[in-house]
Amino acid sequence: MVESGFYDLYVCSGPESSDKVEELAAIAKHLGYSGIAINYPDDHKDLNVTVVPEGIELFSGVMIRTQNASKLHGIVEKYRNKVDIITVNGGNESVNRAAVENPRVDLLTHLNTGQESGFNHVLAKAASDNRVAISFDLGDLIRFRGGSRVHALSNLRKNLQLVRKYDVPFILTSSPVSCYDMRAPRELIALASLFGMSREEAISGLSTIPETLISRNRPPEGYLYEGVQVIGTEMTGEEGDDIK
Amino acid sequence: MKVLPPTQRSKKRYLAFEIISEAPVRREDMIREIFSAAGSLLGDVGSSECALRLLAFEDSMGIVRCSPDRTDNTRAVLATIRDVKGTRVLCHVLGISGTVRGATKKYLAGADIFSPKEQSHINE
Repeated sequence: MVESGFYDLYVCSGPESSDKVEELAAIAKHLGYSGIAINYPDDHKDLNVTVVPEGIELFSGVMIRTQNASKLHGIVEKYRNKVDIITVNGGNESVNRAAVENPRVDLLTHLNTGQESGFNHVLAKAASDNRVAISFDLGDLIRFRGGSRVHALSNLRKNLQLVRKYDVPFILTSSPVSCYDMRAPRELIALASLFGMSREEAISGLSTIPETLISRNRPPEGYLYEGVQVIGTEMTGEEGDDIK
Repeated sequence: MKVLPPTQRSKKRYLAFEIISEAPVRREDMIREIFSAAGSLLGDVGSSECALRLLAFEDSMGIVRCSPDRTDNTRAVLATIRDVKGTRVLCHVLGISGTVRGATKKYLAGADIFSPKEQSHINE
């Protein structure tokens, strides 16, 4: 029914989430996702995802919540080799700016500062150069009603304009904290169409872009060291030597 | 009165959906929630263009009828439903069909009611 290969990279877990990782994974699989990233807050003790459910891939992530832009780079370096996805929760202009200027960051979420979208042409250019993805938080459209949803929609529309112009990588997420906040990929595509995102763009934000974010942090199969990779092995001769 | 010939009838789409919820949801509450969500998201004009109608709804499965060029809006309306009378719910569209029979046969018949709690135990 649903094409495979959909990912939601911003599933939050940790103390504020009441549901277990197993439940989140089970529901994501039921809704047609092939992988989700479990984001723990940066003060969480154990960042590794130990659960191995069937039929769905789980990625580990850390959600950096800091108000201090100068400390951000240190925190990013601390976690870079420990998790698959590094997410920065924005919220003020300096943190947003620092996050998109650091190529080691994968994802910037919660960009909006008060009523403003928190994203502009300068940040868009930096995000595009450093390949830092921004998230279109469709959870806002689900959670809010009335005036705040109107603001959320117009911010999303404005961000989409910048993303198109500067070719910024982006992902779609419903930013779920519990099972019931999760939405199926096709529902997210429908929600994204409300602010003018085309079907093709929405699909790439759910499949190909998350895939590239993950693969750049995970060494490919047959990786030996920087620049050398085993493409395939072939049996030749009677001795059965492996030729690499 | 003479019956309207089939060629003159307006076309429709039928969305089969399931509700994943903490507790069972009543049909009347579900109807109220769908129309309130549509009114809030699309407004009165949009809702009338969408021509939403809840047909069957029992055992957490149901069928919503809508206008054929507004299926995306209908999906978005269903996605914005968070709770029905205080019960947290998740609305998942299983598929779209051009007839009620098709939607029932293809997507609803034989489908199980999904509960996240039970599923996670199976995985363990």
